[in-house]
Amino acid sequence: MIASVAGLVLRAIVVLSGTAIITFALLWNAPGDPAQAIAMARFDALLTEDVIDQVRREVGLDTSFWRGFVNWVRPLLVLDFGNSAVTGRPVWPDLWAAMTYTFPVALAALAIGLAVSLPLAILATRRPGGFLDRFAVAIASLGTAIPAFWLGLLLILLFAVQLSWLPAMGARTAAHAVLPALTLGFGIAASLTRIIRSGILEARGQTFLPAIKRRGVARKAIGRDHIAPHAAVPVITVVGLELAFLLEGLVVVEVIFGRPGLGSFLTSAIIARDFPHVQAMVVVTALIFVTVNLIIDLIYRVIDPRVGGRHA
Amino acid sequence: MRSVAVLAVAIVVAVLIGPLFAPYDPAAINIPERLSPPGEAFLLGTDALGRDIFSRLLHGARWSLGLAFMISFIGLCVGTLIGLVAALGGRVADWVVMRATDTFLAFPELVAAVVIAGLMGGGTWSLIFALSVTSWMRYARVARGIGLSLQSQGYVIQARLAGLSPWSIASWHYLPTLLPSLTVVWTGMFARAIIGISTLGFLGFGVQPPTPEWGAMLLDARIHMRSTPLQMIWPGLAIVICVLAINLAGDALRDGLAQRDTSE
Repeated sequence: MIASVAGLVLRAIVVLSGTAIITFALLWNAPGDPAQAIAMARFDALLTEDVIDQVRREVGLDTSFWRGFVNWVRPLLVLDFGNSAVTGRPVWPDLWAAMTYTFPVALAALAIGLAVSLPLAILATRRPGGFLDRFAVAIASLGTAIPAFWLGLLLILLFAVQLSWLPAMGARTAAHAVLPALTLGFGIAASLTRIIRSGILEARGQTFLPAIKRRGVARKAIGRDHIAPHAAVPVITVVGLELAFLLEGLVVVEVIFGRPGLGSFLTSAIIARDFPHVQAMVVVTALIFVTVNLIIDLIYRVIDPRVGGRHA
Repeated sequence: MRSVAVLAVAIVVAVLIGPLFAPYDPAAINIPERLSPPGEAFLLGTDALGRDIFSRLLHGARWSLGLAFMISFIGLCVGTLIGLVAALGGRVADWVVMRATDTFLAFPELVAAVVIAGLMGGGTWSLIFALSVTSWMRYARVARGIGLSLQSQGYVIQARLAGLSPWSIASWHYLPTLLPSLTVVWTGMFARAIIGISTLGFLGFGVQPPTPEWGAMLLDARIHMRSTPLQMIWPGLAIVICVLAINLAGDALRDGLAQRDTSE
């Protein structure tokens, strides 16, 4: 067990280092001179080559790729993200402020997704092929086919423009979070419904169930003790995928609804070529993602005794 | 297989012939007729510059579907090659390839594509690069998984003993076995690419206006949401219909393969 956990942690470290190298390579090769961008932001004026060269040396951009990488990654290791190239303010407080806008919406979306998908999938699998089952499958297919940004626009059109029930732009009140959370929640509900449904159906097909039934175990007890744990395994493994979906959705949804969260943080940083902001966002995303996947792998090993070192 | 074949033909036909049915030039600006509602002259209405939306949709298929086809095909080729290198190249190659795959999967693909395309400055070529570079991993995993399981098959061992090079074993014995499963992955990635292209186009990091790509059209339409809400419906509907059709074809193909495998 300890060896396999150590293996997983090592793998996470390898993956994070790989992400760091790729990110740095992207920034290193990005069109436009980063030194010039920093100098412009700092002195706010047209500059001579001399000054830009001085900045280049000072920031450590005049060295080789690998030395530049070491200089770049050292502060990141202690989560020191430096200062914004545009405003000059430290990155971390701004990033934290963005997170406080993002996390409530992300959690609400997850809650909506679970609240819709769990009952829907359970009811649908009562009678496979019945009306409710076909409805669940239709919702699931539709949910994965609708781009999040278009769904967001449609909800704005309906609830903000036509009915004026809810505000569309900004993040002042809790009501502002409703439409973004619904947009993301629908996508999550769709993919979770699909997975929980097929998880339950697969668990039902297991060969040990008729044996238990014949022994006279109550239907409820079979569902609780045998089908539910079986169906839970695939659901837990896709939590990582749901997180990816959430992050992808957040980027566009926050832009559409004008919420100053992580997605807007990233897109405005890219447009302004604010490299410290971009790299902070990339590092934080990769950290969250790798940590969650590591935890999932560990949980997976605990609840499913069949999974051991074999797929390491 | 049949559903995918029908779908592939339908998409190729739409992309090749669709623009021929366009009643107007998709770039022709016609200010007096701007923002007109759907009617006889303009089937789906016109946009803020008076361009015919129906014509733009038909021409847009070439960008939205054509680019998605290209990107998913690049991913298919690169991913399969990488997966086969892992399966046939020995333990070190396998370890390196699989950790590289993990690294690329350690980041939400669309977010990575936004960062890459954005840092490269946007535009069609950055879009193709960004979406291709983030779409090979699933193919590589499938190709490696099946490749490893083939390693112990009798005919593969015989081919190796007969002195065939890894390259010819891969192309003669592995590829035909891999193809059905890879096609299933490909349909999923094709659908994802359509959404990816439109999302990047909508954020302004993808195909640039005035090209009638569907995501970029939605970006234009969004500004006039209050006056002409219908303008925002059509491109989105086109995306949803295409993605749905592709996903359904992929499901049918997967079920067909599963049936074939159990009946054998």
